[in-house]
Amino acid sequence: MNSIIFLTLAMLLAPLYAGLIIKVKAFFGGRKGSPLLIHYYTLAKLLKKGSVYSTSTTVIFKLGPMVSLCTAATALMFLPIAGQPPLFSFTGDVILVLYLFGLGRFFTIAAAMDTASPFEGMGAAREAYFPIICEATLFMILILFYTLSGELNLAAYFSGDRPLALWQTAGAPLLFVVIAFFIVLLTENSRVPVDDPTTHLELTMIHEVMVLDHSGPDFAFIELGAFFKLFFFSTLVARLICPVTLTHPAAAAVLFLGVLGLVYVAVGVTESVMARYRMDKVPQFVLTSFALAFFATVITLEFLR
Amino acid sequence: MPLFFWRRFVLMKTMAVLTIGAGCLLGLTDAAVKLIHGGSYSAAFGYLNPFYLSFRIDALSAFFLISIFAICLLAVLYSYHYVDHAPDALRIAVHYLFFSLLIGAMALVVTADNLITFMLSWEIMSLSSFFLVITQFENAENRRAGYLYLVFSQTGAMFILAAFGVMFAHSGSFEFSDAAGLPEAAKILVFVLAFIGFGSKAGVFPFHAWLPHAHPAAPSPVSAVMSGVMIKTGIYGIVRMYSLLDWHTPVFGEIVLIAGVVSGILGVVYALGQHDLKRLLAYHSVENIGIILIGVGIGMIGAAADQPIMAVLGFAGGLLHVLNHAIFKSLLFMGAGMVLHATGTRAIDSLGGLLKRMKITGTAFLIGSLAISGLPPLNGFVSEFLIYLAGFHGLALGRIDFGLCVVAIVGLAIIGGLALACFTKVVGVVFQGEPRSQAARKAHEKGPAMFAPMIVLAAGCIAIGVFPGFFLPMALKAVSALGLGYDPIPLAPFLQLTGNITQAAALIFVVFLLILALRYFLYRGKTVTRTGTWGCGFTRPTVKMQYTGSSYAASILEFFRPAAPLTEDHPGVRGRFPQKTHYHSHIEDIAERYQGAVFVRPVLAFFDRLRWLQHGDIHLYIGYILLAIVVLLFFV
Repeated sequence: MNSIIFLTLAMLLAPLYAGLIIKVKAFFGGRKGSPLLIHYYTLAKLLKKGSVYSTSTTVIFKLGPMVSLCTAATALMFLPIAGQPPLFSFTGDVILVLYLFGLGRFFTIAAAMDTASPFEGMGAAREAYFPIICEATLFMILILFYTLSGELNLAAYFSGDRPLALWQTAGAPLLFVVIAFFIVLLTENSRVPVDDPTTHLELTMIHEVMVLDHSGPDFAFIELGAFFKLFFFSTLVARLICPVTLTHPAAAAVLFLGVLGLVYVAVGVTESVMARYRMDKVPQFVLTSFALAFFATVITLEFLR
Repeated sequence: MPLFFWRRFVLMKTMAVLTIGAGCLLGLTDAAVKLIHGGSYSAAFGYLNPFYLSFRIDALSAFFLISIFAICLLAVLYSYHYVDHAPDALRIAVHYLFFSLLIGAMALVVTADNLITFMLSWEIMSLSSFFLVITQFENAENRRAGYLYLVFSQTGAMFILAAFGVMFAHSGSFEFSDAAGLPEAAKILVFVLAFIGFGSKAGVFPFHAWLPHAHPAAPSPVSAVMSGVMIKTGIYGIVRMYSLLDWHTPVFGEIVLIAGVVSGILGVVYALGQHDLKRLLAYHSVENIGIILIGVGIGMIGAAADQPIMAVLGFAGGLLHVLNHAIFKSLLFMGAGMVLHATGTRAIDSLGGLLKRMKITGTAFLIGSLAISGLPPLNGFVSEFLIYLAGFHGLALGRIDFGLCVVAIVGLAIIGGLALACFTKVVGVVFQGEPRSQAARKAHEKGPAMFAPMIVLAAGCIAIGVFPGFFLPMALKAVSALGLGYDPIPLAPFLQLTGNITQAAALIFVVFLLILALRYFLYRGKTVTRTGTWGCGFTRPTVKMQYTGSSYAASILEFFRPAAPLTEDHPGVRGRFPQKTHYHSHIEDIAERYQGAVFVRPVLAFFDRLRWLQHGDIHLYIGYILLAIVVLLFFV
């Protein structure tokens, strides 16, 4: 029962947290910024609208938003939120979740290629490229988690009586893992310094340019899917930083949501103090995360086993 | 038999398809029954006094037989409408003759039970497929491809023969079953020789150089069979050899695993750089053979370390991937064949927008692409999932094996990501967007005999992806035939895994249907209009402005430049009124480059030196013969 409540809570709160990033950026820019609830307004507005489809597109263009929302929502069902057991869990569900994001990516790219637009093709090529390195990093981190816990599911790492209490056993390498995870979060969710969704030039975007032609409820689906995905990765980082689960569910939720807020604020701060990297520098940045995860594994194995 | 009727084109075709199809169906049912009931069946025939031919079917053979017969049945059905050029009747009749020989030979290879039988069937298989590759022999490129294939398959056969020679020298018998008694040093030699030989058939890097030439040259149904099942006989050879030698040493697993990771990653990188649709698919065979070998390699390491779960998961994942790859690769080759048939070109960058005109082909190809990228809920995911699990189990082992398992897991992750990039390129550039040429604009699909196999295969991709519980036990039976000593393998824990995958697939479908219903509800009564693509302010777009396959892959290839050198020919745009310019890029296969430089050229130079021996003087030739006899008299 708790799991369902928490899942609903996560789905409802995901847009709010994304609004937090905008607020932080506005603060750094010395502006008042849009209201925290901005994303709810945008979603409501989009859902009321109709759509315009390009004559070049096929049914895949309509499938794209649905599949990306579907995969992100399904991934959330495997996510232990606030230390509570997730709705579904089995051995190897991490692999399934990572490949689900792959499925979503396949359809987002295919929908972009459907429009015959050179800009969207350009974004799609980048979207296909950078996550390859992210996946390598994530599997490297999984290898570390597996050697520490002997389990291969998210629930075992982030919920239950014995979550991955990395702070006690492997404090220093954990710092590496958190940074690596954070880099993956920025890359997978198209944030600065990998991608800048607010830039004025389509040539320099990744994710935003791919969804240029989507409109109305379709676009709302894409946005919602992106919020879910960001929530998923942020939750993992938050639970890594603070693996404590308070016994009372409500207290646990408050603590978790607080830490989660910190992660979103960190994203906002990163976006405010950094500029987007030149496109050919991005792979090096993402590779850093792989190197960090790799060294974390090596250190852990050398000194702790 | 169809050869006799070549003057009556339709009759000949129908007869060929029906007889081959019936044979395949018969074989398929028989193999399925044998696999379900287990046990082994053998038969032996006398042949040329000193030898006899013997055959044996166990679960491993039956498993391979199922994929052979199933794919061949569909491919031959597909070929009915594919070869529709009546003036070429004789050629087509010959093509069917070799096609049936190839199917028969493949079935014999996987059932052969002694060295002689195996070698004979192997050669029939290689030669008949060689003739199929050069079906279109007028084309110089196809002849070259055929020649390359012949050289590779015969060199490979030499290695296998050498391995068999070592076996015979030690055991003194032609029986497969006597191989277990070999001394350990000989076993390593035999395995390495056999691995090179079988690897050259399977397309393991760096012995894959024939594959990207031969597959595009062959007619599409033949490519489907060659890539889908024939190269798997190489895998069969490796696995069978491992089981025959019956020595669970980690060295075998390490060799196989490293070869698998290298072929997997480089195969997909080269695939990404291709401009020819069928060549691209051929390189993907190299990649998938890599994945299979990763699975089998992890299995061997697990068997050596006495980790039953890891061993069984690895072998089962690898073998299931054999079946999965047979299904989706032949589906993709049939799709490519349909594209070639409809547009007359295999050049990716001159196609586009085909999904609108070729709905069934496009959808089937999309399903195949999702499957080969290893995405849930399709079949590619199931086998990769099992191999991942096996790899994670291997992390508990000692240093070297731990390191190799890390390499395998990260390698699989990278392969998955690259395959996704490659197939979004193919689907995006070939089937979506706007047509880039006149031929692509006018394309339309035809021939019900070509649809049916594609639909069946696409359904197979989904069926295995959603209900792996029916198919994994087949692979497990084949694993138990390897004699790892874990019999009987308990089914329950594995069915638990597949049950989870089924559950997850069901979950995905339910969520998707909910979203679909939501979308329907949201769009009710809304205005939906159609207009041109938003060109970011540019008002006169042309189809030439679309992103091409080359530009799509360029940045990823840049990353892999050391392994995949790219040569570009582009004079650039100059002046205020630019002249016409061009761009041509070619990605070079390092295996091909170094084999040419290091191996082929010295050999050719050496034989050039010996040319004086062949001078055309018949008297001296007779002298050679005499000399040879005298020398032999002294030594023998």
